[in-house]
Amino acid sequence: MKLEMQNIYKSFGANNVLKGVDISLSGGEICALLGENGAGKSTLMNILGGVINSDSGTILIDGKPIEFKNPVDSLEAGIAFIHQELNLVNDLAIFENMFIGRELKNKYGFLDAKTMIKKTKEIFEKIGLELNPEQMVRDLDTSYKQFIEIARALMMNASIIIMDEPTTSLTEHEIKRVFAMMNVLKSHGVGMVFISHKLKEVVEICNKYTVLRDGNMVATGEIKDVTTDDLAKHMVGHDVRTESLQRDKEIGNEVLRLERLTDATHFRDISLNLRQGEILGVTGLLGDGRSELFQAVFGDRPKYTGDIYIDNQQVKIDSTTKGLDLGIAYVPRNRKENGIIKDMNILENGSLVTLKRLQKRFFIDRKKQNTEFDIQKDSLKIKMEKKLDLITSLSGGNQQKIVLAKWLSSNPKILIMDNPTQGVDVGAKEEIYDIILKLAGQGVGIIVLSSEAQEIIRVCDRSLVMYHGAIVGEVSGEDMNEQKIMRLATGGK
Amino acid sequence: MEKTKVKFNFITWFKKNWTESALFSTGVALFVMVILQTVALGFEFDSFGEWFATWANNWINILRNNAGVGIVALGMAFVIISGGIDLAVGSTMVAVGAVLMMIIDNGPNALLASTGITGVPLYIIGIVVAIAMGCGLGQLTGVLVTKGKLPPFIATLGMMKILRSVTQHFMQTNSPKVPTGFLQIASLKMGNLLIMPIIYWLVIAIILYIVSKKTAFGRYVYAVGSNERTAKLSGINVGKVKRKVYALIGMLVGVTAILQVSRIGSMDYANAGSGYEMDAIAAVIVGGVSMSGGKGSVMGAVLGMLIIAVMNNLLNLLGVPPFLREAFKGMIVIGAVLLQKKEEN
Repeated sequence: MKLEMQNIYKSFGANNVLKGVDISLSGGEICALLGENGAGKSTLMNILGGVINSDSGTILIDGKPIEFKNPVDSLEAGIAFIHQELNLVNDLAIFENMFIGRELKNKYGFLDAKTMIKKTKEIFEKIGLELNPEQMVRDLDTSYKQFIEIARALMMNASIIIMDEPTTSLTEHEIKRVFAMMNVLKSHGVGMVFISHKLKEVVEICNKYTVLRDGNMVATGEIKDVTTDDLAKHMVGHDVRTESLQRDKEIGNEVLRLERLTDATHFRDISLNLRQGEILGVTGLLGDGRSELFQAVFGDRPKYTGDIYIDNQQVKIDSTTKGLDLGIAYVPRNRKENGIIKDMNILENGSLVTLKRLQKRFFIDRKKQNTEFDIQKDSLKIKMEKKLDLITSLSGGNQQKIVLAKWLSSNPKILIMDNPTQGVDVGAKEEIYDIILKLAGQGVGIIVLSSEAQEIIRVCDRSLVMYHGAIVGEVSGEDMNEQKIMRLATGGK
Repeated sequence: MEKTKVKFNFITWFKKNWTESALFSTGVALFVMVILQTVALGFEFDSFGEWFATWANNWINILRNNAGVGIVALGMAFVIISGGIDLAVGSTMVAVGAVLMMIIDNGPNALLASTGITGVPLYIIGIVVAIAMGCGLGQLTGVLVTKGKLPPFIATLGMMKILRSVTQHFMQTNSPKVPTGFLQIASLKMGNLLIMPIIYWLVIAIILYIVSKKTAFGRYVYAVGSNERTAKLSGINVGKVKRKVYALIGMLVGVTAILQVSRIGSMDYANAGSGYEMDAIAAVIVGGVSMSGGKGSVMGAVLGMLIIAVMNNLLNLLGVPPFLREAFKGMIVIGAVLLQKKEEN
């Protein structure tokens, strides 16, 4: 089977996400789809998966034009989309998941478990998967869950499989397993689109690549002709800045110290310290416990043991209000769920933290609220039309800056940022880095939590690496490089 | 910067406001209802003066009869905007009403009979206790919701059952008399008009409007209802905000109990206030408050209450059989929510 997408256009409102993109794939090929966040990869694949419709352009299968109005059309044409958030029901057995929505029934109208188990086994044999179809999905590793989805796609005669960042949350061992599986599929003539940010993996497993940037296709070709550096350059449009950002500042006294901080499940025995003006990175893979650790430090998870010292004073932080009062600011991950209030306007979102302080006698001091907001707006270079517009009218980068503004107006001593550049475009990313450095220059102690080693290397003075809830290493200077961080984060020494 | 003159286009103006502002569409709905009601009232009068007197009198009746639920609806707006619900308002009113009557009774069985306090001081004690008790019961609900982590529906359903049942049990053997002096609270005439309940409603509505717009607490209620997680991660004590909201509606229920007792002079413990919760919820929903929290306004709660009140009056004027009237209420609630702007994913 040969798949071609030609001249695909798509815009959301005024935002042109795809501006005439071409991509093609034949059976037995693995094509890497590369691009930064917001380059249009997901939109392109969502069009292919029938999740959204394109504005114009054609999709050809074996030379014949075809239209996908919904995911079912796409699936019937033999295209399966394995999303990052796996689409399995944990509380059902493997074979039940395999046939979900298309259960086989016997002549009395009851479920025919026997045949479903048999058919599941047949598919597993074909791809060399040794799993018991009656096992519960919840007991499986993430990589195996992916295999279940792949097997399900194959059972539905999928000949093209789109995999959206399948290796992001996997350990090195699991990644090897996924690659082995991909090679098996390749030998069966299945074509795959592999979306990933990890260029080394791309070079290892793929044989073709297509790079998107700002909705344009900027490069395509054979993997054997390029290096990871070439690919990175295509993705960002210029030589990638990987060097640590220059800074000239003084590190002051200790502001935060954790001693043997432990909670029931997420992190254990964490000791660290942070000084004024220092930027400390904390990195690791999904599920390393870093987010939960700093939620505890901020007061969002009051059930911890161990000691927290701020300015050498022992403190018990049992609520977020307490965290705020102690001078901690916390910019959470997943902005939409944790960072903004979509029903409120920009100004209110930007002053949510300081509202109590802005209340004089009984009423909020509107004048002061506006002045304080304007100061942050100017210093963070937030682009907006009216302060009274809804926060959702802003771009991701500007929304993130509002979340930052809300915290900076509380004059924090300690700033904790979890995934500070999640879902913001390249330009805004650099601006946020500049802000972080500026704040550190002003003496704020900053903790940056990130899974992007690149980000850690660029902005942090030193970084801790976590693995399964424990700190497994500290890197700084020459040691702070992607290889070392990755090795520690995956449990290596 | 020079402003380009745009010719005022009523239709575009109307469409824009209709889709963008829940308050606007509620206002328009109310306006239409009032026109219908005015037409239904008829014009067969000898003079304009006579017509106006009848019309105005009809309105005073509408407002006075709905002031009690109207005050509860103001509190309900806060509760629902904060993401909760309160089913216990009717039962709370009965419980508070019973205690209030036991206090202000000047017979030998009254709670404070032995103290010898009578008249206005006794009434003041009664009023303070009623409001404090409402507040306390609300606070208890709030604690169940925030510390006990009960869903508000369950916590208030339980409170609803407990309060009415306990009140009915204890009031089997007690039949306090409400002294005539106390009735003045609702029936004191302004000029020649019986409008005290309307004034209470109006004053409370204005105060709560200001609270919702201009105080940190008011804004926190919206923040918590729209996104509790973000509110918590912004250093807001979410539990405290919720407890305050339930305490607030409790206080307002206390006020309604005072009004009820002073208007009627007695209380039917089995039936008084039953359906208040649903009427108050219906009013705020019609007024554009979203059940999922974070959206709506105090103004909306007033307008919504008025729509339901005017509709009742209209059905009455048109001679719609009493059993069918609730059906219209049901339709208007469903209709209002159907019209509300749906969130796109």
